[in-house]
Amino acid sequence: MRGHMWKRAEAVLLALALCLGLTGCGGSGDTVITIGVYAGSYWDTPNGDCYQILDHAIALFEADHPGVQVKYVSGIPTDAYSEWLAEQILKGTEPDLYFVLPEDFDLLVSSGALANLDERIAGDPEFDASLYYEPCLRSGQANGSQYALPHESVPTIMFVNKTLLEDNGIEMPDNDWTWDDFYDICARITDVDSRRFGVYDYTWLNALYSNGAALFSEDGRSCYLADEGVQQAVQFARRLNELNGGYTVSGRDFDMGRVAFRPFLYSEYRAYQPYPWRLKKYSAFQWDCISMPAGPSGSNVSELHTMMLGVNARTRHGELAWDLCKLLSMDESVQKELYAYSHGISPLPSIAEDGGLLAQLHQDVPEGGGFSPEVIHHIMSSAVVVPRFGAYSQAMIMAESAVQETAGGQAGQSRMLTAQREINVFLSKP
Amino acid sequence: MKNERELTCTAAVMFALNFSIILFYSLICLTTTFRLCGSLGAYDFLASVRQVPRYPWQMLVQSLSLYALLCVLSLFKSLRSPQRFALRMAVCVTEIALCAGIIFSLDFYYSGIALLVLADLVHYVQSSKMRLCFIIVLSLLFAFGRYEIVARPAGSIAFNAYLSYYNQTAQSWFTSLESFMVCLNILMFVLFMILLFTGQKDENTRIRRLNEQLNQANDQLRDYAVNMERMTEMRERNRLAREIHDTLGHTLTGIIMGADAGLALFDAAPEESKKRIQVVAQSARDGLTDVRRSIKALRPDALERSSLAEALEELVKNFCMTTSAKVAYSQEAGPLKLAADEEDTLYRAVQEGLTNAVRHGHAGQIDIRLTRKGDVVTVSIRDNGLGCAEPEEGFGLRHMRERLELLGGALTCGNLDKDAADGYTGFFITVDLPVRSRKEE
Repeated sequence: MRGHMWKRAEAVLLALALCLGLTGCGGSGDTVITIGVYAGSYWDTPNGDCYQILDHAIALFEADHPGVQVKYVSGIPTDAYSEWLAEQILKGTEPDLYFVLPEDFDLLVSSGALANLDERIAGDPEFDASLYYEPCLRSGQANGSQYALPHESVPTIMFVNKTLLEDNGIEMPDNDWTWDDFYDICARITDVDSRRFGVYDYTWLNALYSNGAALFSEDGRSCYLADEGVQQAVQFARRLNELNGGYTVSGRDFDMGRVAFRPFLYSEYRAYQPYPWRLKKYSAFQWDCISMPAGPSGSNVSELHTMMLGVNARTRHGELAWDLCKLLSMDESVQKELYAYSHGISPLPSIAEDGGLLAQLHQDVPEGGGFSPEVIHHIMSSAVVVPRFGAYSQAMIMAESAVQETAGGQAGQSRMLTAQREINVFLSKP
Repeated sequence: MKNERELTCTAAVMFALNFSIILFYSLICLTTTFRLCGSLGAYDFLASVRQVPRYPWQMLVQSLSLYALLCVLSLFKSLRSPQRFALRMAVCVTEIALCAGIIFSLDFYYSGIALLVLADLVHYVQSSKMRLCFIIVLSLLFAFGRYEIVARPAGSIAFNAYLSYYNQTAQSWFTSLESFMVCLNILMFVLFMILLFTGQKDENTRIRRLNEQLNQANDQLRDYAVNMERMTEMRERNRLAREIHDTLGHTLTGIIMGADAGLALFDAAPEESKKRIQVVAQSARDGLTDVRRSIKALRPDALERSSLAEALEELVKNFCMTTSAKVAYSQEAGPLKLAADEEDTLYRAVQEGLTNAVRHGHAGQIDIRLTRKGDVVTVSIRDNGLGCAEPEEGFGLRHMRERLELLGGALTCGNLDKDAADGYTGFFITVDLPVRSRKEE
């Protein structure tokens, strides 16, 4: 009898321990799913109502899923968002679904914080990968699997000081211009004595992407610094720089309207082009944006930054989080609001290339400038997604310094090979 | 075992120490996590470990509850010591599983818990094969259950990553504390093993000594058994001699005397003589039966059939019939319920006393009195015969004495006062027999 009681006590203890071991206890009532979101704009542009899109999506979602509540913590500034998210992950209180900044994507994937979405995608007939621009979707891929869905994207474009071009009797270049056109215009404009310059802040990396080259392999295991495409970009950037005769062009020169070109994020274009914001910045001259000049073996493409949404790998509401993730990424009525409340481009061609919406957007642009659906299509569908792996920033610094040290010519070529070897050794370390 | 107390103490210290170590690791991980979060270090930490840690409370709660279970199991094992082999095995295997669980839930930071379980099981398990098995499994757990060696489970982060949050001084303090506790655990384990094995060695020596003593005792016992057999044989031979003397001697004496009397009366009173001879014949038949009985069961026939009191009355009556002596018999001992051997002894004593009085003393008057004082029954026999010139014990008396002494009784005999007023001036025999008190049923 006593043995029996003892056994029962043991069983109770075991059950208790098991209960304690399983952390987290289910709540009662409504299912609450949480979403992690930052305040303001990631693209560093003024944004009056940053939660508008999210609130709209939540309203749609809650109407569609009775008994489910979506909550988020508001007021986390963009620059503190990564830290906030990391804290939540350490504390084990990360949201079921959260926005993934481009620079955090690799860390979140490699640390196992993001759920692999392959199975959900395969098992969800509603999801259609062909609805997206391929580069946008590729931004959320790692190791051949989809870990995040794109929410909005921002490509790099070229800012053009129209006033300066007109003053020099130069026509506004087309969206399919080349390095030669670019160099030609810069050469004609540059006049160091009267402080007129062709371009500011255009680096060999900008040139590299539009030359169809890549600095690192997709998996971040090898470096292509000495490849021809890369070398062409480096040489081109050097030639452009040589036009300035040793003078270092500054941001102030640009703001003063003394520089013709500058690589620019599409979001800034979107933010400052329409009235009234256009009065705040660059008001001293007329300006517009076009796509980046194409290199000899590339086209008018640039690097693409994509804000993404990922599902927490530890969530207990994977299905709901996936639904909400899909809604924010794929739903057209939600994506349309990007035009009104954000400054990115929708990853969905059907929204990004909607003629009516684009016309509405460009009504403020004088002289009928702006991007046509075709140009947007070209920029977006051929944009470069730069692989961000763990050692990216360190490898980038090594490449940068190698490029800086190198003079042109044969000596330069061998220095590049040496640097490439060093970087490869660095990258091959576990 | 002699040093059981020391072993228990060492084990208790080990249990307490392991508790502190588990607490140390899980608290460091827990508090560091929250400190990281409070000091904007979370992102850098995550970037350096590139691994989502487990829920912060998980390690503490899991490892401590598993540890509590382990303690309960160990306590259960030592307090209730289950008998069934299957249950004992189940307990041991569960302990090993718990040990592995604790190592796992501590992210393989600490595998010394295997030593604790090893000490516990080696002490508990007696079968050397099982012991070896457990030693191998737990040693492997101890050696390879290390963060540096195993393929890391999901969510495990090097302990050093947590420590690197602190400044150099704090780090070195924590590291020293860690290695101190871990080393102490190993030391305690070694101490436990030394105590256990020296204890077992002592035990073995003790057992060997006891074994030798046992063998000696066995030898002695064998000798005793041989002696005993010889003695029993002897005693039985004596007893047979006694029986023959008692029954045959008595009966034959009666027959001779009865026949003599019959002869004497043959001419004068043939009728009376015939009667006497009939009695003699009856006496001879009785004697024969008695002899048969004696040989068969070595018991007086009269006692076989009836109680001691009745048997004595019968004896006296028959004696009076066969001899000319007058016997005064008084039974003042109350109801006589004695053991068979006691009855035998008293019966034979009376029989011997009567025979002796007539045969040696030629007595005409014999007085027999049975009295009882407490547990001692006394038979006194007196006669008016010649007495005994030289009080030298014959065969009969000696046997009577021996028989009495076997039962713790005593025999006194001798000549009576020649001038006694009551006329009994011959020989007397007094038998004192302490009877074993028998419960009235």
